[in-house]
Amino acid sequence: MIQKILFPLFLIACLTGPPPLRAQQNATDHLVRNVQAGVKRYPEDYAGYAALGAAYLQKGRETADAADYELAKSALEKSLDRLSNDPAAAFAMTQMAVVCMVEHRFDDALSWAQRALALGSGDPSPWAIAGDALADMGDYNGASEAYSRLESSYGSEDEKLAFSYQRDSRMSFLRFVAGDTQGAIQFMSSAVRTAIETHMPAENIAWSQYQLGEELFLAGETNAAEKAYLASLDECPNYYRALAGLAKVRASQNRYADAVKLYKEAIARVPYPEYAASLGDVYFKLGQLADAKKQFDLVEFIGYLSQVNQQIHNRDLALFYADHDLKLRESLSLARKELEVRRDIYTWDVLAWSLFKNDKLQEASEAIAHALQQGTNDPQLFFHAGMIYEKTGDSAKARSYLQRALDINPHFHILYSSTASKTLARLAQKEIVVSQQAASSVH
Amino acid sequence: MKTLGWSVLSLLVAPIVCAQAPRNTATPAQQKISWAEGSIKARPDHSQPYNDLAVAYVQRVRETADTGYYDQAETVLQKSFEITPDNLEGQKARLMILLGRGEFGQALGLAKALNKKTPDDVLLYGFIADAAIGLGDYGDAEEAAQWMLDMRPGNVPALLRGAALRRLYGDARGAKDFFAQAYQQMAPTQTEERAWTLTQMADLQRSIGDLAGAEKLLHSALQQFPGYYAALEESARVQTMRQRYSEAVDLLHQRSLKLPTAASRYALAQALERSGQTTEARLAYADFAATARPLISASDNANEELISYYLDREHNPAEALRIAQLEITRRHDVNTLDAYAWALFGNERYEEAQKQIAISLAVGVREARMFYHAGVIAAKLHDDRSAARYLNQSLELDRSSESAAAVREALQNLAPESAAIARGDK
Repeated sequence: MIQKILFPLFLIACLTGPPPLRAQQNATDHLVRNVQAGVKRYPEDYAGYAALGAAYLQKGRETADAADYELAKSALEKSLDRLSNDPAAAFAMTQMAVVCMVEHRFDDALSWAQRALALGSGDPSPWAIAGDALADMGDYNGASEAYSRLESSYGSEDEKLAFSYQRDSRMSFLRFVAGDTQGAIQFMSSAVRTAIETHMPAENIAWSQYQLGEELFLAGETNAAEKAYLASLDECPNYYRALAGLAKVRASQNRYADAVKLYKEAIARVPYPEYAASLGDVYFKLGQLADAKKQFDLVEFIGYLSQVNQQIHNRDLALFYADHDLKLRESLSLARKELEVRRDIYTWDVLAWSLFKNDKLQEASEAIAHALQQGTNDPQLFFHAGMIYEKTGDSAKARSYLQRALDINPHFHILYSSTASKTLARLAQKEIVVSQQAASSVH
Repeated sequence: MKTLGWSVLSLLVAPIVCAQAPRNTATPAQQKISWAEGSIKARPDHSQPYNDLAVAYVQRVRETADTGYYDQAETVLQKSFEITPDNLEGQKARLMILLGRGEFGQALGLAKALNKKTPDDVLLYGFIADAAIGLGDYGDAEEAAQWMLDMRPGNVPALLRGAALRRLYGDARGAKDFFAQAYQQMAPTQTEERAWTLTQMADLQRSIGDLAGAEKLLHSALQQFPGYYAALEESARVQTMRQRYSEAVDLLHQRSLKLPTAASRYALAQALERSGQTTEARLAYADFAATARPLISASDNANEELISYYLDREHNPAEALRIAQLEITRRHDVNTLDAYAWALFGNERYEEAQKQIAISLAVGVREARMFYHAGVIAAKLHDDRSAARYLNQSLELDRSSESAAAVREALQNLAPESAAIARGDK
């Protein structure tokens, strides 16, 4: 699930620079200081402010601190105050679009990307953000069209390859959503190759390998996923995304102690609420309920830390509450709020799950239909669908979806894999009883 | 510069299926206006939102042909300059207004001064190019456009200016390539800009006699930006060349529903005359003259049309020449030179006419009308060989141009030896 929740952020990271690590954070601090000095020397230079905005954005990705995004926005506004009607302003506008994406203001992100494109700078980068925003708004055809524009007739071969990397890594996500998991894996493998061949920064390569791992895990290819996460950690030791990915694999291998250790390491680097929730689930599985509760409290704490965090983590919190039968009305309210700005399949899925937990079964089955409409082969979507249909009395559909979830990956979730198996068994038992009753009534 | 195959045009006219097509009915400029107004509310003490609003108003002029938006843009710019005196982005917006109003001399001065202060601003070179093209200083324009391309390869504003220059230099194929490259970079949401570019391409196609190609491009332009006045005007020109005069009249009537300009009134009057609607044509010509005459001394005038009107309709060559002389003191672009030459010809000042048309053709421009003018001027000076060559070039370029019938007649009037050259019996 982490993959789906964080995917836009990964894509942004991939567009604008390498994702973070401790060493990287030091380098970014250094970069921020340098650019600040430049801005002080030339306070009327639009390019200096644009560079400062980009540097703060990078820092924001590394620290997940909302204050950095605010600083980025302020610097970018200053750049655009100095130059906005010129092809050279496209960079600042694209960065502004990225800020909006981070803050989940997808409509604004699309507008900024379109404004950047309207300047006709000759740089197709804004298409990437336009595509990301469209994908989050559920317009997958539009996103695909936008990504297909990520090529340039200008620049060096390496620059052209960089665009092909951006395109492949994004198209991979769209293929996955369209239900073509193998196609998605191929696109991502190609992106990994391009990243290595073009000597991209280590973090970029690590991100690509990690992303490949995510897709392989979702496809149930756990061993291959493990290899991809390890390759990512080889490239960038302590890379928090890969640590969390590997933790997930370890949990699926019943190596819970390793999973706990890895999740803790990931959280120590970047405290994403999803990581805390997953760690809590592992503790729960181990029966360490007090530790689990601590992590669950942490999820809420991070989610409500700031205004921006609340915007960003609406969906994560909604899912977290629904998953753990906590604050179910708030879960539903958060999911509905998220759907106002984000109409992709995963928001529909979270809404469906939350409606299900709130016993609104008719609405839940309508929402899950939206989530499934692209044909995505995601075990978690199938699990939610199966559980909803079981409760609405459509046993055939319930059995089919639960079976598909387990067929793809029998260990798709530390807690829900067994729930899926138990529900399937219950449904089978029910079927036997029904057929016996039918037979006896005939006699 | 990278050359795209001409087949790319077929992609350009393909229907838009992109989901990024506009989500509401507001035009791009209207969206920009609303965006800028929102920014002004949020940050009333910053100059940039006012500049953005001014630029949006200028863009709205191109969408609607309503020059009243320039006044609104100027008012907004005053606010911007009150907050930050002489800020660069405000000055650039002011430049756009000057260029839109045809104040090329003033625009060139301001653009060059700003360029000296901020030599890394790409668009300032674009404004220099625009002003220089308007004035007929093509060398300066070329240099500025090349700077733009060198500074930021493949940027759309540079490609569009490069296309205009290539066309002026007679390189139709190169112009098409640049237009196509620019078009391909435009987002589907930039409906007016796409429609404008398609209209420019259609104009280019028509000028080389490819009427079917021009029609396809115009169809696409009107799909993307319905009712676009520039595309309607160009469509009427195509229909005129097909000698479908009543269709041209219909199109121009449609175009005139909203803010007709002096030039569009003249086109309508001509179309009415060609379609045999004499009374309506007479009224339309009168309407045109009443609109165009007060603008004679203004920079944004319809003097080219007035010159043609006094020569061809009113048979008043003296007035045509008076207006042409006024205009040539302001600018010496190829069209003004051609109109001046034609006015001199109408006043039987053939040698001067030849001098002017030669200057115009020396740029490299290839227009059937200009070759026709050059041909008949040469014929009057008894230079039948040159006359035959020019007339032949006019027909080679476009056998269905508005001048085609006159070209054939002029060729027949040449001495047999020269006519043989015209037929290709060298």
